[in-house]
Amino acid sequence: MNRTLGGRLRLALFLGGVGLHRLAAYRLDFLLGSGAFLVRVGLQTVTVGVVFSHVPAVAGWSYHQVLFLLGCALLPRGLDHLFTDQLWELSRKLIQRGEFYRYLIRPVNPLFALLSERFFHPDGIGELLVGLVLVLWSGAELGLDPTALQWALAPLLVVAGALIHFSVKLFFASLSFWTVTSMPALQTVTQVSEFAGYPLDLYHASLRTLLTWVLPFAFTSYAPAVYLLHDDTGLLRWLPAVTGLSLLAALALWRRGLSRYEMTGS
Amino acid sequence: MRRPDLRPGGYLPFATSGLQSLLQYRSTFLITGITAAAGAAVTVFLWRAVYADGSGPGPGGFTPASITTYLVVAQVLAVVHTNRVDDEVAAEVYRGDIAVTLVRPLSYPLVRFAACLPVIGANAVLVGVPLLVLFAALVPLTAPRPVDVLLFLPSAALSVLIAFCVNLLTGMAGFVTTNTWGVRMAKQGVVAFFAGQMVPLALLPGPLHALAMVLPFRAMADGPLTLLLGRYEGTAGAAAVLGHQLAWGAGLVLLCAALWRAAVSRLEVLGG
Repeated sequence: MNRTLGGRLRLALFLGGVGLHRLAAYRLDFLLGSGAFLVRVGLQTVTVGVVFSHVPAVAGWSYHQVLFLLGCALLPRGLDHLFTDQLWELSRKLIQRGEFYRYLIRPVNPLFALLSERFFHPDGIGELLVGLVLVLWSGAELGLDPTALQWALAPLLVVAGALIHFSVKLFFASLSFWTVTSMPALQTVTQVSEFAGYPLDLYHASLRTLLTWVLPFAFTSYAPAVYLLHDDTGLLRWLPAVTGLSLLAALALWRRGLSRYEMTGS
Repeated sequence: MRRPDLRPGGYLPFATSGLQSLLQYRSTFLITGITAAAGAAVTVFLWRAVYADGSGPGPGGFTPASITTYLVVAQVLAVVHTNRVDDEVAAEVYRGDIAVTLVRPLSYPLVRFAACLPVIGANAVLVGVPLLVLFAALVPLTAPRPVDVLLFLPSAALSVLIAFCVNLLTGMAGFVTTNTWGVRMAKQGVVAFFAGQMVPLALLPGPLHALAMVLPFRAMADGPLTLLLGRYEGTAGAAAVLGHQLAWGAGLVLLCAALWRAAVSRLEVLGG
């Protein structure tokens, strides 16, 4: 029954429910997790506010446009956070402590088994909430009137952004199959992803290239934002290819890692 | 409980063993460096864009060079403040290993302090200095006056003490919750903001500025930077910055000591 899509979905819902039950037992922990992210993204929003209390525009972007972009960046980040946070555990300790084998002996796909342990991870809720508020509020302030096509594409752009975040995380977490732990590398790329919270036009050309074609975080925020704000599709048309290639690269590395995995005995 | 031994000699082994375990993971320094450089680059790009068109001093009396110096040195100080005390204390409390350390005739907070000193030194030399050199090569920075550098050094030392206390208190959250990770994330964000790492505190609007002045975190970056960039008025101005740091340093040390005693007296560790 676990082989069909419906079966998978049922299993995911069930396992997510188990996770939520665990949260109900530790309510303070739940509040701390999502609260911590709420504090961080809240302060990032305040930083943008302070910047624009001194100047009317930065690199051609107005206050509400930057907030809109920040909201666009937070939505895919939060969505990814909600489902794939267990990858941090993979990079941190699952290989190092020899605990990874338990995902291999379950009758489902190992990647699904791994991720299912933290489905509906609440830490992402803070990001999703702030992102949604920012996009809706600043969109209204800008008098944005999306076309039917833009309305239809917007959710897909969030999903594609989340898939890019997921791919980068999976790629760097899978390195731990070779290096035992890859948490520092994952921390570094996460820090790099913070660049995506501000307009790409702020940065030096080399950094822009890095964020577009090497670690493609530009496609999680900047490309959707300029499309929704200015109907600029220059970067957006690369989005399907970039998302697909990122996923393929990450999954390929994950598979190679899986096939060479040997349990560290202890 | 016995009175712990406070002679420094007893704590020396912890400092040297801390250094040894640190040098086993040398790649950590590279990763810390890249992460810190990326973190500084975000704020530097953002704020340089704000000061891009002005020829004279812009908001808050900053020039492009001086605001860059402020943000880069704030990041360097943040690197020096990453002393791992918060994660290690939290982890020892969470796992119950704390019981073993309490058996020793030494003060646990002082053991932690001794163990984090080499971490601070290594971070300063192996990450902080290269970071400063890197940014100095890429963007124009302000060269401080010698007297300001002399004032900055003791101020930076005090900021290290305050950072230790803040991290110790964060780690002690492990006594009340198992999600110390969330507490640490929140602390990191709050400290980064109210120390001045994201926005120079002089640029904050009224109420936020007042809040930043009340909180102890400005002693961690904004205080030393006020001295380094000569943004104070006369001897009294410099003394006020150092006095604020001293007062918070002493206050936080007392708070740590009091909370530590209270926490240990109600601690229960299950056997296993």
